[in-house]
Amino acid sequence: MVRCSICGRRAVYTSRISGHSYCSRHFIDYFSRKVRRTIRKYQLFRPKDHIVVAVSGGKDSLALLHFLKKLSKYSPRWKITALLVDEGISGYRDITIKRFQDVVLDLKVDYEVVSFKEEIGYTLDRIVSSNYKEEYLPCTYCGVFRRYLINKTARRIGATVVATAHNLDDIIQTYIMNIIGNDWNKIIRLAPVSGPAIHPHLVRKVKPFYEILEKETTVYAIINNLYTGFEECPYARLSLRWHIRRWLNELEERKPGTKYAILNNLLSIINILTKKENINLEEEIDTCILCGEPSAHQICRACDLRTRLSMVRLESSAHIKLKELNKFLYANKQLILFTLR
Amino acid sequence: MTIRVKILGRGTYEVEYHDGMKVLDVLKKLGLLSTEYVVVRKGEVLIEDEKVNDGDELVLYAVVSGG
Repeated sequence: MVRCSICGRRAVYTSRISGHSYCSRHFIDYFSRKVRRTIRKYQLFRPKDHIVVAVSGGKDSLALLHFLKKLSKYSPRWKITALLVDEGISGYRDITIKRFQDVVLDLKVDYEVVSFKEEIGYTLDRIVSSNYKEEYLPCTYCGVFRRYLINKTARRIGATVVATAHNLDDIIQTYIMNIIGNDWNKIIRLAPVSGPAIHPHLVRKVKPFYEILEKETTVYAIINNLYTGFEECPYARLSLRWHIRRWLNELEERKPGTKYAILNNLLSIINILTKKENINLEEEIDTCILCGEPSAHQICRACDLRTRLSMVRLESSAHIKLKELNKFLYANKQLILFTLR
Repeated sequence: MTIRVKILGRGTYEVEYHDGMKVLDVLKKLGLLSTEYVVVRKGEVLIEDEKVNDGDELVLYAVVSGG
Protein backbone atom coordinates (compact mmCIF):
# COMPACT_ATOMS: atom_id res chain seq x y z
CA MET A 1 0.00 0.00 0.00
CA VAL A 2 1.29 3.45 -0.94
CA ARG A 3 1.05 5.83 1.98
CA CYS A 4 0.47 9.57 2.27
CA SER A 5 3.82 11.36 2.46
CA ILE A 6 2.41 13.58 5.24
CA CYS A 7 0.33 11.39 7.57
CA GLY A 8 0.98 7.81 6.47
CA ARG A 9 -2.66 7.00 5.62
CA ARG A 10 -3.54 5.25 2.37
CA ALA A 11 -2.71 7.50 -0.59
CA VAL A 12 -5.26 8.46 -3.26
CA TYR A 13 -2.95 10.51 -5.44
CA THR A 14 0.74 10.68 -6.29
CA SER A 15 2.24 13.72 -7.97
CA ARG A 16 4.45 12.29 -10.69
CA ILE A 17 6.58 15.43 -10.60
CA SER A 18 7.40 15.71 -6.90
CA GLY A 19 6.87 12.03 -6.09
CA HIS A 20 4.75 13.01 -3.06
CA SER A 21 1.66 10.94 -2.28
CA TYR A 22 -1.46 12.24 -0.55
CA CYS A 23 -4.37 10.70 1.36
CA SER A 24 -7.80 12.19 0.52
CA ARG A 25 -7.55 14.83 3.26
CA HIS A 26 -4.06 15.96 2.28
CA PHE A 27 -4.92 15.76 -1.41
CA ILE A 28 -7.65 18.38 -0.80
CA ASP A 29 -5.06 20.52 1.02
CA TYR A 30 -2.58 20.11 -1.84
CA PHE A 31 -5.26 20.90 -4.45
CA SER A 32 -6.54 23.91 -2.54
CA ARG A 33 -3.03 25.27 -2.03
CA LYS A 34 -2.31 25.04 -5.75
CA VAL A 35 -5.51 26.82 -6.79
CA ARG A 36 -5.13 29.52 -4.14
CA ARG A 37 -1.56 30.10 -5.33
CA THR A 38 -2.83 30.65 -8.90
CA ILE A 39 -5.55 33.01 -7.64
CA ARG A 40 -2.99 34.99 -5.66
CA LYS A 41 -0.22 34.99 -8.26
CA TYR A 42 -2.43 36.25 -11.09
CA GLN A 43 -4.79 38.32 -8.89
CA LEU A 44 -7.84 36.56 -10.31
CA PHE A 45 -10.37 37.93 -7.82
CA ARG A 46 -11.03 41.10 -5.85
CA PRO A 47 -12.66 41.28 -2.41
CA LYS A 48 -16.08 42.46 -3.65
CA ASP A 49 -16.34 40.46 -6.87
CA HIS A 50 -19.60 39.09 -8.20
CA ILE A 51 -18.25 35.85 -9.64
CA VAL A 52 -20.19 34.04 -12.33
CA VAL A 53 -18.99 30.44 -12.55
CA ALA A 54 -19.57 29.01 -16.00
CA VAL A 55 -20.82 25.49 -15.27
CA SER A 56 -21.59 22.73 -17.74
CA GLY A 57 -22.63 20.10 -15.23
CA GLY A 58 -19.43 18.15 -15.90
CA LYS A 59 -16.92 17.27 -13.18
CA ASP A 60 -14.48 20.13 -13.82
CA SER A 61 -16.95 23.00 -13.66
CA LEU A 62 -18.80 21.45 -10.70
CA ALA A 63 -15.45 21.09 -8.94
CA LEU A 64 -14.73 24.78 -9.59
CA LEU A 65 -18.13 25.85 -8.29
CA HIS A 66 -17.68 23.66 -5.20
CA PHE A 67 -14.15 24.98 -4.61
CA LEU A 68 -15.05 28.68 -4.98
CA LYS A 69 -18.13 28.30 -2.81
CA LYS A 70 -15.96 26.80 -0.03
CA LEU A 71 -13.33 29.51 -0.55
CA SER A 72 -15.99 32.23 -0.33
CA LYS A 73 -16.21 31.52 3.42
CA TYR A 74 -12.94 33.45 3.63
CA SER A 75 -14.14 36.18 1.22
CA PRO A 76 -17.58 37.02 2.64
CA ARG A 77 -18.13 39.93 0.23
CA TRP A 78 -17.98 37.67 -2.81
CA LYS A 79 -21.24 36.88 -4.54
CA ILE A 80 -21.28 33.65 -6.53
CA THR A 81 -23.71 32.76 -9.30
CA ALA A 82 -23.56 29.58 -11.37
CA LEU A 83 -24.36 29.93 -15.07
CA LEU A 84 -25.21 27.05 -17.36
CA VAL A 85 -25.61 27.37 -21.11
CA ASP A 86 -27.98 24.80 -22.55
CA GLU A 87 -26.81 24.19 -26.12
CA GLY A 88 -29.67 21.83 -26.89
CA ILE A 89 -27.86 18.52 -27.30
CA SER A 90 -30.36 15.78 -26.64
CA GLY A 91 -29.24 12.82 -24.55
CA TYR A 92 -26.34 14.84 -23.17
CA ARG A 93 -27.09 18.31 -21.88
CA ASP A 94 -30.49 17.36 -20.45
CA ILE A 95 -28.71 14.88 -18.15
CA THR A 96 -25.97 17.30 -17.04
CA ILE A 97 -28.54 20.06 -16.35
CA LYS A 98 -30.17 17.77 -13.79
CA ARG A 99 -26.79 17.17 -12.13
CA PHE A 100 -26.06 20.92 -12.21
CA GLN A 101 -29.35 21.69 -10.46
CA ASP A 102 -28.73 19.07 -7.76
CA VAL A 103 -25.31 20.55 -6.98
CA VAL A 104 -26.37 24.24 -6.96
CA LEU A 105 -29.25 23.40 -4.63
CA ASP A 106 -26.93 21.44 -2.36
CA LEU A 107 -24.36 24.26 -2.30
CA LYS A 108 -27.09 26.92 -1.97
CA VAL A 109 -25.75 28.91 -4.92
CA ASP A 110 -27.87 31.22 -7.11
CA TYR A 111 -28.00 30.08 -10.69
CA GLU A 112 -29.03 31.03 -14.23
CA VAL A 113 -29.70 28.82 -17.23
CA VAL A 114 -29.70 30.30 -20.75
CA SER A 115 -30.31 28.32 -23.91
CA PHE A 116 -29.16 28.47 -27.53
CA LYS A 117 -32.80 27.89 -28.53
CA GLU A 118 -34.04 31.04 -26.79
CA GLU A 119 -31.04 33.30 -27.31
CA ILE A 120 -29.68 32.21 -30.69
CA GLY A 121 -32.85 30.76 -32.18
CA TYR A 122 -31.56 27.24 -32.80
CA THR A 123 -30.49 24.27 -30.69
CA LEU A 124 -27.05 22.84 -31.50
CA ASP A 125 -28.74 19.65 -32.73
CA ARG A 126 -30.75 21.78 -35.18
CA ILE A 127 -27.65 23.67 -36.30
CA VAL A 128 -25.80 20.42 -36.99
CA SER A 129 -28.72 18.89 -38.88
CA SER A 130 -29.27 22.00 -41.03
CA ASN A 131 -25.59 22.71 -41.64
CA TYR A 132 -25.66 20.73 -44.89
CA LYS A 133 -22.64 22.53 -46.34
CA GLU A 134 -20.60 21.33 -43.34
CA GLU A 135 -18.76 24.64 -43.35
CA TYR A 136 -17.83 24.37 -39.67
CA LEU A 137 -17.57 21.64 -37.04
CA PRO A 138 -20.28 21.61 -34.32
CA CYS A 139 -17.65 22.69 -31.75
CA THR A 140 -17.12 25.94 -33.70
CA TYR A 141 -20.78 26.98 -33.36
CA CYS A 142 -20.93 25.71 -29.79
CA GLY A 143 -17.77 27.53 -28.65
CA VAL A 144 -18.66 30.84 -30.29
CA PHE A 145 -22.28 30.92 -29.07
CA ARG A 146 -21.34 29.72 -25.59
CA ARG A 147 -18.69 32.43 -25.10
CA TYR A 148 -21.13 35.01 -26.48
CA LEU A 149 -23.93 34.00 -24.10
CA ILE A 150 -21.68 33.66 -21.05
CA ASN A 151 -20.39 37.22 -21.49
CA LYS A 152 -23.81 38.66 -22.30
CA THR A 153 -25.55 36.92 -19.39
CA ALA A 154 -22.77 37.68 -16.91
CA ARG A 155 -23.06 41.36 -17.78
CA ARG A 156 -26.87 41.28 -17.53
CA ILE A 157 -26.77 39.92 -14.00
CA GLY A 158 -24.06 42.38 -12.91
CA ALA A 159 -21.08 40.05 -12.69
CA THR A 160 -17.62 41.57 -12.34
CA VAL A 161 -15.76 38.41 -13.32
CA VAL A 162 -16.46 35.09 -15.03
CA ALA A 163 -14.60 32.02 -13.74
CA THR A 164 -14.23 29.09 -16.13
CA ALA A 165 -12.99 25.61 -15.23
CA HIS A 166 -10.33 25.42 -17.93
CA ASN A 167 -7.54 23.30 -16.46
CA LEU A 168 -3.90 22.80 -17.40
CA ASP A 169 -4.82 20.08 -19.92
CA ASP A 170 -7.41 22.31 -21.66
CA ILE A 171 -4.97 25.21 -21.85
CA ILE A 172 -2.11 23.27 -23.42
CA GLN A 173 -4.47 21.53 -25.86
CA THR A 174 -5.64 24.96 -27.04
CA TYR A 175 -2.02 26.10 -27.19
CA ILE A 176 -1.09 23.20 -29.51
CA MET A 177 -4.21 23.85 -31.63
CA ASN A 178 -3.18 27.49 -32.01
CA ILE A 179 0.37 26.51 -32.92
CA ILE A 180 -1.07 24.30 -35.66
CA GLY A 181 -3.20 27.25 -36.79
CA ASN A 182 -0.19 29.63 -36.48
CA ASP A 183 -2.53 31.89 -34.51
CA TRP A 184 -0.31 33.96 -32.22
CA ASN A 185 -3.05 36.45 -31.38
CA LYS A 186 -5.02 33.63 -29.79
CA ILE A 187 -1.97 32.27 -27.97
CA ILE A 188 -1.47 35.60 -26.20
CA ARG A 189 -5.03 35.28 -24.88
CA LEU A 190 -4.27 31.97 -23.15
CA ALA A 191 -3.11 33.62 -19.92
CA PRO A 192 -4.92 32.91 -16.60
CA VAL A 193 -6.77 36.22 -16.99
CA SER A 194 -8.50 36.97 -20.26
CA GLY A 195 -7.19 39.79 -22.32
CA PRO A 196 -5.75 41.88 -23.74
CA ALA A 197 -8.98 43.15 -25.34
CA ILE A 198 -10.79 46.03 -23.63
CA HIS A 199 -14.47 46.83 -24.12
CA PRO A 200 -17.07 48.20 -21.68
CA HIS A 201 -19.30 45.18 -22.40
CA LEU A 202 -16.58 42.60 -21.90
CA VAL A 203 -16.63 40.87 -18.51
CA ARG A 204 -13.19 39.84 -17.27
CA LYS A 205 -12.60 36.07 -17.51
CA VAL A 206 -10.33 34.05 -15.23
CA LYS A 207 -9.15 30.44 -15.01
CA PRO A 208 -8.48 29.36 -11.39
CA PHE A 209 -7.63 25.77 -12.48
CA TYR A 210 -4.92 27.02 -14.86
CA GLU A 211 -2.17 25.07 -13.08
CA ILE A 212 -4.27 22.05 -12.14
CA LEU A 213 -4.09 18.79 -14.10
CA GLU A 214 -7.40 17.37 -15.31
CA LYS A 215 -6.59 14.20 -13.35
CA GLU A 216 -6.46 16.33 -10.19
CA THR A 217 -9.86 17.95 -10.82
CA THR A 218 -11.22 14.43 -11.38
CA VAL A 219 -9.90 13.16 -8.03
CA TYR A 220 -11.26 16.32 -6.32
CA ALA A 221 -14.69 15.74 -7.92
CA ILE A 222 -14.79 12.06 -6.90
CA ILE A 223 -13.76 12.76 -3.29
CA ASN A 224 -16.45 15.46 -3.02
CA ASN A 225 -19.18 13.30 -4.65
CA LEU A 226 -19.48 15.64 -7.61
CA TYR A 227 -18.68 13.01 -10.23
CA THR A 228 -21.82 10.91 -10.35
CA GLY A 229 -21.99 9.99 -14.01
CA PHE A 230 -20.25 10.35 -17.33
CA GLU A 231 -21.87 11.51 -20.54
CA GLU A 232 -19.96 12.28 -23.69
CA CYS A 233 -21.04 15.03 -26.04
CA PRO A 234 -21.99 13.28 -29.31
CA TYR A 235 -19.95 15.86 -31.26
CA ALA A 236 -16.79 15.82 -29.10
CA ARG A 237 -14.87 13.22 -31.13
CA LEU A 238 -15.22 15.29 -34.31
CA SER A 239 -12.90 17.97 -32.96
CA LEU A 240 -9.15 18.32 -33.43
CA ARG A 241 -8.91 18.77 -29.65
CA TRP A 242 -9.92 15.13 -29.14
CA HIS A 243 -6.83 13.87 -31.01
CA ILE A 244 -4.45 16.39 -29.44
CA ARG A 245 -5.69 15.43 -25.97
CA ARG A 246 -4.95 11.74 -26.59
CA TRP A 247 -1.52 12.57 -28.00
CA LEU A 248 -0.65 14.73 -24.97
CA ASN A 249 -1.85 12.05 -22.55
CA GLU A 250 0.32 9.44 -24.27
CA LEU A 251 3.32 11.77 -24.03
CA GLU A 252 2.63 12.45 -20.33
CA GLU A 253 2.42 8.69 -19.70
CA ARG A 254 5.84 8.18 -21.31
CA LYS A 255 7.46 11.28 -19.89
CA PRO A 256 5.79 12.61 -16.72
CA GLY A 257 6.04 16.38 -16.50
CA THR A 258 5.46 16.98 -20.22
CA LYS A 259 2.24 18.87 -19.56
CA TYR A 260 3.80 21.22 -17.00
CA ALA A 261 6.72 21.78 -19.39
CA ILE A 262 4.33 22.79 -22.20
CA LEU A 263 2.45 25.14 -19.83
CA ASN A 264 5.73 26.77 -18.79
CA ASN A 265 6.63 27.09 -22.46
CA LEU A 266 3.29 28.81 -23.10
CA LEU A 267 3.84 31.27 -20.25
CA SER A 268 7.28 32.12 -21.63
CA ILE A 269 5.84 32.63 -25.10
CA ILE A 270 3.09 34.92 -23.74
CA ASN A 271 5.77 36.87 -21.90
CA ILE A 272 7.89 37.22 -25.06
CA LEU A 273 4.89 38.16 -27.21
CA THR A 274 3.62 40.81 -24.79
CA LYS A 275 7.05 42.48 -24.79
CA LYS A 276 6.99 42.91 -28.53
CA GLU A 277 6.32 46.49 -29.53
CA ASN A 278 3.67 45.73 -32.11
CA ILE A 279 1.40 44.01 -29.59
CA ASN A 280 -0.84 46.39 -27.71
CA LEU A 281 -1.63 44.87 -24.31
CA GLU A 282 -4.69 47.00 -23.81
CA GLU A 283 -6.17 46.59 -27.22
CA GLU A 284 -9.58 48.23 -27.62
CA ILE A 285 -11.98 46.21 -29.65
CA ASP A 286 -15.01 47.09 -31.75
CA THR A 287 -18.71 46.83 -31.06
CA CYS A 288 -20.78 44.54 -33.28
CA ILE A 289 -23.05 46.68 -35.45
CA LEU A 290 -25.79 44.03 -35.27
CA CYS A 291 -25.97 43.08 -31.59
CA GLY A 292 -23.85 45.67 -29.75
CA GLU A 293 -21.63 43.02 -28.17
CA PRO A 294 -17.81 43.27 -28.13
CA SER A 295 -16.29 42.15 -31.40
CA ALA A 296 -12.92 42.01 -33.15
CA HIS A 297 -14.69 42.98 -36.39
CA GLN A 298 -17.68 45.09 -37.44
CA ILE A 299 -19.90 42.03 -37.12
CA CYS A 300 -19.15 39.65 -34.25
CA ARG A 301 -18.50 35.96 -34.84
CA ALA A 302 -21.81 34.99 -33.20
CA CYS A 303 -23.85 37.28 -35.51
CA ASP A 304 -21.77 36.11 -38.47
CA LEU A 305 -22.55 32.46 -37.74
CA ARG A 306 -26.18 33.27 -36.94
CA THR A 307 -26.55 35.06 -40.27
CA ARG A 308 -25.02 32.11 -42.10
CA LEU A 309 -27.49 29.79 -40.36
CA SER A 310 -30.43 32.02 -41.38
CA MET A 311 -29.15 31.93 -44.94
CA VAL A 312 -28.96 28.16 -44.86
CA ARG A 313 -32.56 28.11 -43.68
CA LEU A 314 -33.59 30.63 -46.30
CA GLU A 315 -31.86 28.65 -49.02
CA SER A 316 -33.64 25.47 -47.93
CA SER A 317 -37.05 27.09 -48.00
CA ALA A 318 -36.20 29.15 -51.10
CA HIS A 319 -35.40 25.94 -52.93
CA ILE A 320 -39.06 24.88 -52.64
CA LYS A 321 -40.38 28.37 -53.34
CA LEU A 322 -38.17 28.64 -56.41
CA LYS A 323 -39.80 25.55 -57.86
CA GLU A 324 -43.23 27.08 -57.28
CA LEU A 325 -42.07 30.37 -58.79
CA ASN A 326 -40.72 28.60 -61.86
CA LYS A 327 -44.07 26.85 -62.31
CA PHE A 328 -45.87 30.18 -61.95
CA LEU A 329 -43.52 31.93 -64.39
CA TYR A 330 -43.89 29.15 -66.94
CA ALA A 331 -47.67 29.18 -66.66
CA ASN A 332 -47.93 32.95 -66.90
CA LYS A 333 -45.11 33.58 -69.35
CA GLN A 334 -47.17 35.65 -71.78
CA LEU A 335 -48.72 37.76 -69.03
CA ILE A 336 -45.30 38.51 -67.45
CA LEU A 337 -43.70 39.39 -70.77
CA PHE A 338 -46.61 41.74 -71.49
CA THR A 339 -46.27 43.40 -68.06
CA LEU A 340 -42.51 43.83 -68.48
CA ARG A 341 -42.99 45.56 -71.82
CA MET B 1 -9.57 -15.40 -11.01
CA THR B 2 -11.05 -12.23 -12.42
CA ILE B 3 -11.52 -8.57 -11.67
CA ARG B 4 -14.71 -6.79 -12.72
CA VAL B 5 -14.12 -3.34 -14.13
CA LYS B 6 -16.95 -0.90 -14.66
CA ILE B 7 -16.01 2.06 -16.85
CA LEU B 8 -18.48 4.81 -16.06
CA GLY B 9 -20.58 5.61 -19.10
CA ARG B 10 -19.06 2.79 -21.17
CA GLY B 11 -19.87 -0.62 -19.71
CA THR B 12 -18.46 -3.47 -17.64
CA TYR B 13 -15.45 -5.63 -18.48
CA GLU B 14 -13.62 -8.58 -16.92
CA VAL B 15 -9.86 -8.77 -16.55
CA GLU B 16 -7.95 -11.93 -15.69
CA TYR B 17 -6.25 -11.63 -12.30
CA HIS B 18 -2.64 -12.64 -11.57
CA ASP B 19 -0.58 -12.51 -8.37
CA GLY B 20 0.91 -9.13 -7.55
CA MET B 21 -1.34 -7.37 -10.04
CA LYS B 22 -1.53 -3.57 -9.68
CA VAL B 23 -4.05 -0.96 -10.81
CA LEU B 24 -1.71 0.05 -13.63
CA ASP B 25 -1.67 -3.58 -14.90
CA VAL B 26 -5.48 -3.60 -15.02
CA LEU B 27 -5.50 -0.40 -17.06
CA LYS B 28 -2.84 -1.77 -19.41
CA LYS B 29 -4.83 -4.98 -19.96
CA LEU B 30 -7.78 -2.85 -21.02
CA GLY B 31 -5.56 -0.70 -23.26
CA LEU B 32 -6.19 2.42 -21.16
CA LEU B 33 -3.87 5.23 -20.09
CA SER B 34 -3.44 6.01 -16.39
CA THR B 35 -3.53 9.71 -17.31
CA GLU B 36 -7.08 9.21 -18.59
CA TYR B 37 -8.75 7.27 -15.73
CA VAL B 38 -9.12 7.41 -11.96
CA VAL B 39 -9.75 4.01 -10.39
CA VAL B 40 -12.07 3.53 -7.41
CA ARG B 41 -12.62 0.44 -5.25
CA LYS B 42 -15.46 0.41 -2.70
CA GLY B 43 -15.70 4.20 -2.92
CA GLU B 44 -11.97 4.74 -2.35
CA VAL B 45 -9.66 6.23 -4.96
CA LEU B 46 -6.68 4.01 -5.78
CA ILE B 47 -3.33 5.12 -7.11
CA GLU B 48 -1.70 3.23 -9.99
CA ASP B 49 0.79 1.37 -7.76
CA GLU B 50 -1.95 -0.02 -5.48
CA LYS B 51 -2.29 -3.82 -5.56
CA VAL B 52 -5.61 -5.33 -6.61
CA ASN B 53 -7.15 -8.56 -5.33
CA ASP B 54 -8.87 -11.45 -7.01
CA GLY B 55 -12.61 -10.69 -7.23
CA ASP B 56 -12.20 -6.93 -6.85
CA GLU B 57 -14.83 -4.71 -8.41
CA LEU B 58 -13.31 -1.52 -9.75
CA VAL B 59 -15.01 1.58 -11.10
CA LEU B 60 -13.14 3.71 -13.62
CA TYR B 61 -13.88 7.42 -13.91
CA ALA B 62 -12.81 9.10 -17.13
CA VAL B 63 -10.43 12.00 -16.64
CA VAL B 64 -11.15 13.46 -20.06
CA SER B 65 -14.24 15.60 -19.97
CA GLY B 66 -17.19 14.60 -22.07
CA GLY B 67 -17.64 17.96 -23.73
